Parts: sequence; structure tokens; C-alpha cells
Amino acid sequence: MAMTKSQRRISYAAFRYLVLTFWLLVVAFPIFWMVSTSFKPDREWFAWPPVYISENATLQNYLAVWGDVTTHSVDEQTGEIKTYAQSLQRPWQALGNSALISVIATTLSVLFGSVLAYGVSRYQILSEGRMFQLLMLRMVPPIVLVAPISIWYSALGLLDTILGLVMLYFLTTLPYAVWMSKSFIDEVPREMEQAAEILGASRWRTIWEVVLPLVRSGLVATFLFILILTWSEYLLALLLSKAQIVTLPVELSKYQGSTEGRVYGRQAALSVGITLPLIVVGMIIRKHLARGFSFGMVRR
Amino acid sequence: MTADSTLPSDMAPQLNSRAATRAQGVRRFKWTVLSPLIALMVFILLPAFVLQGYFSFFSFSIFDAGDDTSFLSYFRASEWVGLDLWKDALTDDKFGFAIIRSLLFAVGVTVGCFVIGFALALLMYRPFRGQGFYYIFFILPMLTVPIVIAYTGEMILYQNGPLNDIIGMVTGTRSDAQFLYKQEVALTTIAAMEIWNWTPFSFIIMMAGLASLPKEPQEAAQILGASKWRIFWEVQLPLLRPVILLALILRFLESMAEFPKTWGLLQGGPGSATETIPVYIFITAWQFFDISYGAVLSYLVLFMMMAIVMSAIWLLRREKKSLDAMYETKPQEG
Amino acid sequence: MSRIELVDLRKEYGNVVAVKAMDLTIEDGEFIVFVGPSGCGKTTTLRMIAGFEDPTNGEIRIDGTVVNEKEPGDRDLGMVFQSHALFPHKNVADNIAFGLRMKKVPQDEQAAKVKEVSELVRITHLLGKMPAQCSGGESQRIALARTLVTEPSNFLLDEPLSSLDAKLRRELRAECDRLHDELQKTFIYVTHDQEEAMTLADRIIVMNQGEIVQQGTPMEIYSDPVSYFVADFFGNPAMNLIDGEFVKNGDSLEFKSAHFDIPLPAKFANATPGKGTLGIRPENVGIGANSGGATIEREVELVEPLGKDTLLYFETEESRPFVAVVEGTEDVKRHASVTINFPDDAIFLFGANGDRIR
Repeated sequence: MAMTKSQRRISYAAFRYLVLTFWLLVVAFPIFWMVSTSFKPDREWFAWPPVYISENATLQNYLAVWGDVTTHSVDEQTGEIKTYAQSLQRPWQALGNSALISVIATTLSVLFGSVLAYGVSRYQILSEGRMFQLLMLRMVPPIVLVAPISIWYSALGLLDTILGLVMLYFLTTLPYAVWMSKSFIDEVPREMEQAAEILGASRWRTIWEVVLPLVRSGLVATFLFILILTWSEYLLALLLSKAQIVTLPVELSKYQGSTEGRVYGRQAALSVGITLPLIVVGMIIRKHLARGFSFGMVRR
Repeated sequence: MTADSTLPSDMAPQLNSRAATRAQGVRRFKWTVLSPLIALMVFILLPAFVLQGYFSFFSFSIFDAGDDTSFLSYFRASEWVGLDLWKDALTDDKFGFAIIRSLLFAVGVTVGCFVIGFALALLMYRPFRGQGFYYIFFILPMLTVPIVIAYTGEMILYQNGPLNDIIGMVTGTRSDAQFLYKQEVALTTIAAMEIWNWTPFSFIIMMAGLASLPKEPQEAAQILGASKWRIFWEVQLPLLRPVILLALILRFLESMAEFPKTWGLLQGGPGSATETIPVYIFITAWQFFDISYGAVLSYLVLFMMMAIVMSAIWLLRREKKSLDAMYETKPQEG
Repeated sequence: MSRIELVDLRKEYGNVVAVKAMDLTIEDGEFIVFVGPSGCGKTTTLRMIAGFEDPTNGEIRIDGTVVNEKEPGDRDLGMVFQSHALFPHKNVADNIAFGLRMKKVPQDEQAAKVKEVSELVRITHLLGKMPAQCSGGESQRIALARTLVTEPSNFLLDEPLSSLDAKLRRELRAECDRLHDELQKTFIYVTHDQEEAMTLADRIIVMNQGEIVQQGTPMEIYSDPVSYFVADFFGNPAMNLIDGEFVKNGDSLEFKSAHFDIPLPAKFANATPGKGTLGIRPENVGIGANSGGATIEREVELVEPLGKDTLLYFETEESRPFVAVVEGTEDVKRHASVTINFPDDAIFLFGANGDRIR
């Protein structure tokens, strides 16, 4: 079957749009479903056939989860009045905790990681072997250490504290921070630093004023990636916090175990609240994302 | 220029003293930068390892301590059992199955993420109308929190959920497939969620890799009459090997540790169908509060993971070396 | 006042010796050009003066003070890099002001100086732009301005023009020359381009394999090369160099090669016979027997008119042709047979080791 060049091009383009659009649907549907469910009144949560876009859209779920409103609803079959607990825990407080912990840990990790990466790139302060060993911090599953850490934390009084989680998030994300930022710093021409040096800039000033701004785009991508990891971390947050420091993912998981049965609308409303900040941040910096995830395994 | 800094030129070590000050400066820089990291490792991780080791030989469960929950009471309540727990662990069928499940899960997820991510990247890395639009959407799953994915997944997959509805619409018959609470498929379903979640990671890495490939060799191969397929196989793929390996290894190791979806949704069930390594250890240490047995399991998993990570590192180093060699720049002219 | 002295300077990288025992004094206000092929050690020397490389041995003195121990920023130097090394995230004005800021010069003074120096190199219209918006030539001017503004006593320029095209290169070369005249500061310039060296330098330092092979004014280097290497490196078109043998013929010496044999001038009568090379600059080759000296007959292989001059190519067994330059008005046809004349004082002889035979 002989096709001309332009025929081949058109059929390839059609094929591409077909495949990409299919995946687009796969990607978009769960997010759509989450948002759609968050606006459904409770009788539509489990309706058959499923309600795709509610005609009775309501903010009830959001008010129940994020507002301080106790909602009641009458079960249509039994006539029993159900009380959906207002915010099971305190989502706003959880949001505050999550934001504080993930932003602090991510900032520390990226700052510290990029300076360390600079040292490795320019002065080999860690050998290549050590750099790879650093990856262990990330690559060993946290579950294998969380029990003794919790015992140790309780002895130190770090259990259920922001500091306790920040330290662990910092440790477990540092390898990514170092590796990602090193791949950018390696690309900064030495002459750029020498120009600053001969004009009288000190080492730290050169790092702050010349090197880090030059890799800004890469650091932004690194920041987002690590923010994703710390914002959504579940295991450590679940096991090393009790009452005081509840993060959003842990808060959400409490709905799953709640005794009132499944409360899809409420879960969805909370899920939207958890997901939105990351998506907003991600959209703001999306143009930086294309670079950034190659860890030095790509040459430009 | 003032002459106040004149050093007597016959002072013996002057030649290397700047090098020495500089080396000292680098050393100071090194330790300044490394000290917080070392402090955290010594004061947080090391004690945890030691405790872990202690409890793997001294049997202890939270129940043993009774009402006294002070740190020292744990030690008083523990009892020397030597290697007994280690022997138990090595003959523990459930543990063995957990390892197999985790490996299968990780391999499946890794391959799934990679194949889909790479295929999308291949379709997308050359500019076309709508590239930016698709790109934004394709990275969305990575920005979605895993536990959210788990619960949203449940809303979609449950028997009266939209997925069955859609399958029904496509096939024309009522579908009421069980995706979650059925032993045979539960782990696969979780894996599908994990793939959905992390395909963007592979996708972004492969996009960066493909975009970085030099154009000339591909064009040269084209002129020489190579087909698209052959160019892909013989020119693009070999140059991408380090990135591919990286994408595979990182994904494999991260999915070995997957916890929020398996636990958050199914707690190891139905039966023990989703009892992966993290879930099994979690159940041991946090549901049965058997700290000691959990410690032993943890150490065994740690050894296994170390072996895997070490071979992964060996592979990555080899690839990085060959990559560095390929792009080796000539020494500076002059 | 600023005098730079290099004393017994040596640089090794592992087993590779980049610079061998160099002694050199650079006087205040001199325009020095280091020139040589890739890997000859010229850039390494410059970087040692700048302080980016530590010498393995030897001293660098500025004004009699040993500066080996000083950091690059403390040596009263300015440097212009091959890649310009402009900070891409700062606009042109901020780039220029960077050095002043490091030296904690007050704000208003900074502004005044930036303005002054940008007028000097004619880039005032660029001050608000980002480096990425500037052309190669403009970038190089900005790099110069950034260096000039801190008023160092010595300027180091590391192949500053090599990334530019030929026309811009000539333009900026003139600019360098003008700046040197105006500032009367020491310029140390590294290049591999003999033409740049010839046009800019007060003194040329020719380097090869880590050593100074000759130094002197451009004219000295051109008219009195000490070796085959120097003779070959300078001049465009390059000197004709024909390998052959010096043979005793009675009282005088004769040059025999696969290509031609000619008697050598009387001044070489006492030179040692043996293998060697005869050199003559294309512009000194006489066409038509009229200036004394030996002559041979040859057919013109190729005529290349350049306007003012015309180049004539003759075939030889050497890897490159024998070239003669004649006035553009001269009318020589391809394949015409002409007389080639070797004026006595235009002949250079080099021994088998490459050294000049006088």
C-alpha cells in the first residue's frame, strides 16, 4: 500500500490525536468525577444509573467539610434522620498543617539540596559513590523504619510535632533535591562564576547572585516535584501524628473509616480542597516542568 | 595597588599555601553544608536503626508495656529471644507472599508507567497543534494526591459506579464487575491506579530525553535510507538508554514502597490480596503492635531493598559513565 | 604603575606539562599578546595570572608583590572571557554595575560610572536590555564595559573575539586598540589568530608546547623569526617552506630539493650541510629576473587575483603549493612559464631541528 508523504503525515496526525485524546479522557475522567461528585446532593452519590453532572448541584458538601455546618438529611426509605458530622476533624487546621509542613520541608530540601549540589558539582564534596548512596535515603521504603522512629520520637517528644515530620520529609526528599539541582548546576558555565569572582564576589555571593538565579527554572521544577511528595505523603503523617498534627491526606482517610458509611460527596469536597493547591501551583509553573526530571541522565 | 601584603618570597610553603587555604575553604564549605544532614542521620536515623536492631532480638509488643508508656518501660518489658523471631520470619508464608505481591505490583506498575509514558512522549515530543494543551492535562495525575486517587478510584470503580455504567453503554449489557472487593483483581486495580498516578513522571522524563536527542544523527540516518522504525531502534533508543533506565528504576523502587492506595482503600484485603510488603509490616507493627516481629521483617526488607538499590546504582553508574564518556569534552584549549 | 612579572612559572596537570618554566616581565601600559596554536599554554598562563589556576612552581608578581596567594578578585585585574560570561538574568546596566556593587561603591557613584563607561564603549542604548537581546558584538562590548568599570590596572582578554564573525572581529579589534590608547593600561591578550596579534600587540609572545619560542614587536617577529615554527605561524599567506638538503659545492652552499635546486647566498657559506628547510615569504618572491639572487623557471598552476595583489600558485611535491604575491596590475596567465627569483636577503634557512640558520 503506497501512500504519499502527505497522506502518511495526515494519517499519522489522526492516529496521534486519537491516542492522545483517549488518554486525555482517561486522565480527565477521575478528576471530573471527583469535582462532579463534590457538588452532588447525598441521594445522588450512589444513584444508579450514576449521575454524571448533577442537576441539583449543591455546595452542601463543601459547607459540611470546610464550613462549620452540621448537616442533616432524611433517609428516604427509613425516614431516619442522619446527622453528618460537621468537619470530622478540622480541615482548615489540617490544611494549615499540611501547608506549613510541606512548604517548610520542601524549601529546606531545595535550598540545602541545591547548595550541596553546587558543592558536589564544583568541589566534589561528595564522591560519585556517595552521591549514589544518598539515593538510599529515598529508595528504602519508609515503612521499615517508621516503628522505631515513632518510639524514638516519643522519647524525644517529637511525636505529633511539625518539626518531627519536617525533619523526615527533608531527609527523604533531599536525594531528589540534590540530584535534580545538580543536573542544572552542572550546566552553568564556569566562566560565569569566574567573571563574578574576578569582579570581587565571594563564594556565597556567587552562589546566590549568579549560580542559583541561573538555574531558577530547574529549581522551580524541583520545588514542585518535592512539594508534590511532601504534600501528599501519607504513611509518616499517619503514624507519627496523633491528635495535634493532622495533615490533609490523613484527615481525608478519616472519612473512609467513618462509621456513617461512605460519604462520597464529602470525601470529594475534601479531595478537591487537597488537590487544588498543587494543581494551581503546577499550572503556574508548568513551563518550567519540561526540564527538570532528568537527574543528569540527559545531556542538553 | 598597595604592597602591604608582600610576603617574603623565600617563605618556604608559600607556593601551596593558597591552594591550602582554598582546600581549607572547601572543607569548611563541605562540613557547613553536610553538618545538618549528618546531624539528622546521627540523631534520628541511627538511633532508629539501633532500636530496630535491639527489638529484633528482644521480643516486645506494645501490650507488654501495659499502662506505662515511657520510653524506658519498653526496654523493661522486652525479653531476650535471640534469633527466634528471625527464624519465624524466614519461614513466614504470609511474608513470602507479601514479597511476591510487592515485586509483581512494582514490576507491573513500572512497565505500565513506562510503556504508556514513553508512547505518549514519542507521539508528543515533536511540536504540533495542541501540544501544550495535552501536556498540561497529562501531568495532572502527578499533581493529584495518592490517597485522593484511592478514594476517587473507589467512587468510580464500585459496583454501581460510572465505570460499570460506561462499560454497559459500550457493550450494551449491564455490567456489574467488581474491581475492588474481589481477590483476583484487587491488586491489579490498585496497580492501575498507581499507573494512572505516576505515568506523568515517566512521560516527563522521556519527553526531556527525546527533546535532548541531537537531530543530526537522526537526519543522517534518514538520508542514508533508514526507516523510522530503524532510526528509533538504532539511533534514538540507544541514546535514551540512561534515561529509560532511570525512569524504570525510580518508578520500581517508589512502587515497592507504595502504601496510601493499598492501605487506604483495602487495608490488605480482600482476604490478603493486597497485602504487599508495606501493608504486611504495617499490620504487624501497628495493628498487632508486634514491634519486634515488625523490626525483624523490616530488617529483612531493608536487606532486600539494599541489594536491589545497590544493583540499580551499579547499573545507573555504568550508564552515567558511558553517557559522560560519549559527551566527553576536549580539555580546555590553551 | 603596574608591572607584572612571571618568574620561573610552571604548570603541570598530572603528567602533562602545560607551561614550562616561563620568565616574563610585562611593563606598565604594554599591550602584550600571547599567541600560539591550541594547547600551547597561553590560556593556562593567562589563567594563572588571573588566579584561576595555581602554578605548580614559580611566582607571579604584580608591582613587585607576589600574588600567588591572592584570590582573583584581589589582584587588581579585569578579565574578558571568550564566551563573554555575561550574567543572563541581569540587565546590561546591572551586569556592568556588578563589580562596583561587590566593591561597595555608593549607588549614585555606581550609576555615574556605568554611564561613563558605557559611553566609552558606545553601548548607552543597550543599558536597559537583557544580554539575550544583544548581538555578539554588543555582548563583547558589554563584557568590556563590565571589566573597565572597576578600573583595574591590568586587563586580561582570553580570545575575546573568537566567537565573532570576521567583520565584527576587525571592528572590535580596532576598538580594543582605541581603548588601550585611551586608557594607557596594561592589556594581556590571548589569541590563536596571528593577524590579531600582529595588529594589536606592542609585544608578541609566541608560545609553543608550553614555552616562549620568541618575543618581540610584530615587525621583529615577522621579519626575523627564530625558528621554522614562528616563520610558519606568522604572515598571510604563510611563508613558503621547502624541505630539502644543504649541500657543499666548493666554497658555497647549495640547496637541493625534490622540486628545485638553487645556490644559496654567500652569507650561508659556512653553515653546516645537511637536511633543512628553505623559506621565503610570498611577498618577497620575485617574478621575472630583475633583483639578483637565484632564479628558476616554473609554470604557473593557478592565478588568484585579490584586487590589489595577485597570488600565483606553483606546484611542488610539498603538501602545499609554492606561492608568490605580485602587484594586481601584473598580468600573468595560468600555465604561463615565469622566472622565479629568490632575492638573497629574503631567504631564511632552518636546520633539521627547526632552528634558524643565520
